Amino acid sequence: MSEQLKTRPDQVLEDPGALAVASQYARSYLSAAASQDSGDAEEELGSFVDDVLAGHPDFRALLTSDSVGRKAKLDLVDRVISPRSSEFFVNFLKVLIRHGRMELIDEIREVVIRVREELANQQRVQIRSSQPLTDKSRQRVVRQLKDKLGFDPILQESVDESLIGGLVIQVGDTVYDSSLRTRLKTLAGRLTERTLYEIQSGRDRFSHSD
Amino acid sequence: MKFKADEIASVIQTEIEDFRGQIQTAEVGRVIEVGDGIARCTGLSTAMAGEMLEFPGGIRGLTFNLEENSVGVVILGDSLKIKEGDEVKSTGRLLSVPVGDAMLGRVVDPLGNPLDGNGPIMTTDTRPVEHEAVGVAGRQPVKVPLQTGIKAVDAMTPIGRGQRELIIGDRKTGKTAVAIDTILNQKGTGVKCVYVACGQRAASVAGVVEVLREHGALDYTIVVASSSADPAPLQYIAPYAGAAMAEHYMYNGEDTLIVYDDLSKQAIAYRQLSLLMRRPPGREAFPGDVFYCHSRLLERAVKLSDELGGGSMTALPIIETLEGEVSAYIPTNVISITDGQIYLEPDLFWKGIRPAINVGISVSRVGGNAQTKAMKKIAGSLRLDLAAFRELEAFAQLGTELDAATQQQLDRGYCMVELLKQPQYEPLNVADQVIVIYAGAKGYFDKVPVADVQAKEKELLSFVQTEHADMRDKLIEAEALTDEVEEALKSALEAFVSRLDSE
Repeated sequence: MSEQLKTRPDQVLEDPGALAVASQYARSYLSAAASQDSGDAEEELGSFVDDVLAGHPDFRALLTSDSVGRKAKLDLVDRVISPRSSEFFVNFLKVLIRHGRMELIDEIREVVIRVREELANQQRVQIRSSQPLTDKSRQRVVRQLKDKLGFDPILQESVDESLIGGLVIQVGDTVYDSSLRTRLKTLAGRLTERTLYEIQSGRDRFSHSD
Repeated sequence: MKFKADEIASVIQTEIEDFRGQIQTAEVGRVIEVGDGIARCTGLSTAMAGEMLEFPGGIRGLTFNLEENSVGVVILGDSLKIKEGDEVKSTGRLLSVPVGDAMLGRVVDPLGNPLDGNGPIMTTDTRPVEHEAVGVAGRQPVKVPLQTGIKAVDAMTPIGRGQRELIIGDRKTGKTAVAIDTILNQKGTGVKCVYVACGQRAASVAGVVEVLREHGALDYTIVVASSSADPAPLQYIAPYAGAAMAEHYMYNGEDTLIVYDDLSKQAIAYRQLSLLMRRPPGREAFPGDVFYCHSRLLERAVKLSDELGGGSMTALPIIETLEGEVSAYIPTNVISITDGQIYLEPDLFWKGIRPAINVGISVSRVGGNAQTKAMKKIAGSLRLDLAAFRELEAFAQLGTELDAATQQQLDRGYCMVELLKQPQYEPLNVADQVIVIYAGAKGYFDKVPVADVQAKEKELLSFVQTEHADMRDKLIEAEALTDEVEEALKSALEAFVSRLDSE
């Protein structure tokens, strides 16, 4: 296969419609697994994505491509996956293939992880700082987040030198911005706002003789 | 004057020392799709409908569609600077514009940013662009006249303070001229004016501003300009922004006049937004709520009750028709919302009857309530007389022999049509209008050749102003044609006629 051209920047989210569908599949998968008591469904799905699909991109292409018929895909799963996996997981794959949703497998896995985190009262927190966090400051951030927001944060750290100093913490859709860059911007805005009137009246003094 | 460097340095230093940087909290989302003045974003899970958003670079947006998995945003600025993946911040505020006296005499864009190069606007007052109209209890009937200074309008389709009067007609029939004359005539009356240019050519907006400035009308007028080069979202919100600026004065008990020039262009901008947002198209591809778009705007024009301060907002929306088609979607909508319409016709315009008002189908549903007593008395039969004249004129065109009485009625009609003509930017005081129409209706102009009527009208007005100023002052003061004033007027007119005869 030729090398995939990169057409979209990384930070762009997936199609929100597809994410909603994936979320439905993921929740059904987990609840079915719970009712059938079929071992560690999450681990099996994770291992399938990481070890099988990631290791064999051609196999992935076969399963997701539109040019391969459903029947062929189902036969493929029967021959390759069935002997090496639980019956429950094979059924899940077959449902995905029958509904033509195989390409959502990555999103489904993401949602499964999220749901597990939710159940364990964990939440992802993106932290941007001007310099890499030290162990001490990391512990402090975790402790404070836990106190204030009441969940176990899973930190996703990144370094952004343009912040100059301070932290930008994002929890869900909410951003807590205490970076030096933003503070300086606010200060600059306030200074110009306060002095604007003075500048204007000073200018008027020159233009009007009275 | 010399600045004291130390003083400034110390002021800035104390500012910095006092500054406590608070942690900024904001809801964010990401742009997943952008183009044609709109963006689709994910995240923003608590965004409100109509909330103001901020894109990178300070560009503002307005939430328009709240969908299950995404938010549709209209971009109030240059959408080319926004990229896929950009962060959008919610502000928790509704879209609002600066208001107050600092806005008077300024030309601003629909967000209140100055466009006239006269420096920043110093005002801290703001008002939300979208504001619910006053309810039933907060209103009172329209009774006080708003003089347009145009004889044909003040006599036959009078406009009251708090009324919505539509100005409708084809292109190049003088719609804007009627509105501008009305603004010019508000000089010295304390009525604050807002002129909203929506989807107009920038050159014609500049022309209007220049006319207002020349006639000293810019001192009490705010011009909100969104030219056809501006993005559709700005054209869409321009009338609402103008209404917010006028409301500020109205709720402070003052009288205001707002001109929307023109609402057909706004409807087209709204149609563009709605179609891009994938709202289903309806008749003429306009969205289903285009009626509400105009009705909620025009419903904001009211005469407030005395408990609320008694202020008023008079609205003059303008609609441009295509080939006289008043039964198109937008014209019928706005006709049904407003309290009457002034209908301008190209045929009349090219015949030289300017303002080209078609008297037959122009109406004011508020009617005589919004007229001074004097005007009511003399203009009562004017409309019917003119209608009878038009009928007679059509009959006379057949070349029939006419008896003397009919011929005289016909001549009187020609004279009245001539008297109702009025040059642009020359609004008349209502007392002068009364004098002219009285003179015409009572036959004082009968002996003047039709071609000379306009010149003699000017002579009459200067004659009255110089030699019978006391009578004119009484008429202005009493606002009614009392027996005493009428006698004085009659004798003045007789003196004028005898002077004409002796020439």
